[in-house]
Amino acid sequence: MPATDLLRLSYYGFTAASVAVVAAAAFYFMDVLWLARSPKLAVAAGPLETWRAYATPPTASGRLASTTVGIATLFAGLAVALRALATGRGPYSDMYEFSVAFVFVALLGYFLLERSYGIRPIGTIALPVILGMVAYVWSLPPSVREDRGLIPALSNKVIMTAHVSSAVIAYAAFALSFAAAVLYLVVTRWPRSWLPSAELLDEVSFRAVTIGFPAQLMLLILGSLWAHMAWGGYWSWDPKETAALFTWIVYGGYLHARTLRGWRGTRSAVYLTVAFLAVVFTYFGNYWFGGLHAYSGM
Amino acid sequence: MIAVVVDRTWRFFCSVRAALYEIIFLAVLILIGTLKGSVIPAQIPRFVPALEPLVARWYAFDVFHSLIWTMTLTLLAVAITICTINRVPGIWHAIAQPTVVTNRQFFRMAEPAVVERSPDPPDAVAQDLVAILRARRYRVLTEQRGSDIHVYADKNRWGNLGTFPFHLALILLLAGGIVGSELGFRETMFTVAEGATRNVGRGTNLRLELERFVDSYSQIGTPTEYRSDVILYDGDQEVQRASLTVNNPLTYKGVTFYQASYGQAAQIEVKEATGNVAFAAAVPFDYVSRSNGDAPAGMVDLPAQGRRLELFFPNLKLDAKPEIGTIKLQSGELYAQARDARTNAKIGEGAVIAQGDAARLGGLDVQFVRERRFTVLQVAYNPGIPILFSAAALLVIGLAITFYFPHRRMRALVSAAGGESEVVLAPLAKRDWGAKRDFVRTLTAIEARFGPATLWGRSSHAGD
Repeated sequence: MPATDLLRLSYYGFTAASVAVVAAAAFYFMDVLWLARSPKLAVAAGPLETWRAYATPPTASGRLASTTVGIATLFAGLAVALRALATGRGPYSDMYEFSVAFVFVALLGYFLLERSYGIRPIGTIALPVILGMVAYVWSLPPSVREDRGLIPALSNKVIMTAHVSSAVIAYAAFALSFAAAVLYLVVTRWPRSWLPSAELLDEVSFRAVTIGFPAQLMLLILGSLWAHMAWGGYWSWDPKETAALFTWIVYGGYLHARTLRGWRGTRSAVYLTVAFLAVVFTYFGNYWFGGLHAYSGM
Repeated sequence: MIAVVVDRTWRFFCSVRAALYEIIFLAVLILIGTLKGSVIPAQIPRFVPALEPLVARWYAFDVFHSLIWTMTLTLLAVAITICTINRVPGIWHAIAQPTVVTNRQFFRMAEPAVVERSPDPPDAVAQDLVAILRARRYRVLTEQRGSDIHVYADKNRWGNLGTFPFHLALILLLAGGIVGSELGFRETMFTVAEGATRNVGRGTNLRLELERFVDSYSQIGTPTEYRSDVILYDGDQEVQRASLTVNNPLTYKGVTFYQASYGQAAQIEVKEATGNVAFAAAVPFDYVSRSNGDAPAGMVDLPAQGRRLELFFPNLKLDAKPEIGTIKLQSGELYAQARDARTNAKIGEGAVIAQGDAARLGGLDVQFVRERRFTVLQVAYNPGIPILFSAAALLVIGLAITFYFPHRRMRALVSAAGGESEVVLAPLAKRDWGAKRDFVRTLTAIEARFGPATLWGRSSHAGD
């Protein structure tokens, strides 16, 4: 199949994923409303039972939301894979490819998180974050959907793919930890039996950081390895580099506070909510930075 | 007195609170340096004009090469070292000699503490419990006190060690950075014209010749490749031929050549009036004209003749051509001006020379043989690199061990109670949801042997 057809298919895949994300966000919202109106669905519980069955109660709207997320993940994955097939490289040439990949990994991460913890209400926060990224992709000029090739500086496919994949994983994980932290703040102020326990949300946000923090480290290492191979300088104090380092150190601070000083609960959640600003700042950094990552802007 | 000071200092560095402040301070410094590279500070005076001098100082302040930066990193290195050393005994104790004996107070505080009952004698019950836990990859230690059997079980105890490679690596990163900047070198503008050979210097015996520079473009004009075909000499010996592109550098004896940039050059031949050739080489136009920053300029020094030649190419930008406006310089031409080598005073008028032509300037015949290219390479020698990338590997390994092999611990107390045995179990998982979930999962296996567990202190009478 010619590359242009693959690119078009990839675009259709992303369109389908976008529609599914909009629908999923709506379903999660409906699910929360439904749960809020049906207190009888609450998990019956002695403390030991809550440890065994901590999952949120299954509802029709909830199942619909989860299925829609599955569909969105599938289509977003197709969009990334078809584009990679057409261009013969990973999704790193510009903000369009990068953001489509981000949408995919964030959806996949959320999907797995929901499966392993069996808690749905995080979707009410996570899906709007992903929806925001989808909206951002649609706000980019249509010309970005074509394959514009690579400038010479970017033509190291293996390291670039790994470098950018790390970034996508890190940012998606931090986005999920943000969603869990926000929900934590909601739950502690507005406790409802059908919402996940505060302790569980604290755990989920922490687990997400234990994925994001090493991924952010890989991003920094692979970035400097690549800079070393391409330019002879492993570190240039380029604003995007230092912004990524800043993000890493901010989350490093969280890990120390949590594991060594026993920061749990509200303090942790507020910290993670604010820390996510650093991620947003780094992600869109090339709009307000010059420097070595400037070409990846639009 | 000294002991008190040392003790206080040691405690300060050991405190996690101090470490947190240091981390936050480092983050703030990085943020200051990062924002400097953005448009954000420039916006501040628009809203608060009084802050303009502060913003000006912000732009002038190079955080990452400042004294406060060095001091912060030094402080962090010291703190990391002391903190890490300080944690060794505790971590070692948890790994090698954990306390097995517990008391009922522990179970009262632990969550969730559960109880199992069995008609079998405590010895047999403890034996079964140990077998179940061992089958689930727990290390199990037991100790008998009177008729009570204390059980301590843990998993991934070596995971506690992950913090050491990680923090050692942070120190190594600093060490690698220092080694690189003290013992290495990095020249960012190593310019060689086509056909020319240049010494690398810096204690090496290397010379690099540029045979050819090629730049290719896609149909829509975006550059696709910059390539320098080079020959490397060690002394007089040719040691390597290579095509350097942006992601394919050439490394020889630790010295690496990277493609960085390129520009125009001119093959120039200068003859004295006697016909004696004073200069014949490609001249890189790696300067720009004083009067027009877009016009590339080159220079030929001829000390033996007491002359210096200034050479200019036409403006690169098509929409503004002051060189063409004043000198009428066209593509394929250059403008040459002779100057006195010592005083730099102009000697006579300058001349426009077309490719292939010659002109007489300052008593010399200057021929513009043909247009050429020059390449700009970066030359770097960094003995700190192996240290840095070992540190990177250690960072990843340390994190992976810490996060993905968390130390899981539980305690159990087996005792005789009214003709049957009672087992109280609880995880050491204060406010740690993940550890509690793991405990409940392990409990499922224990329940398969002893029947459903109940929460301790609720449906049992085990509480004292």
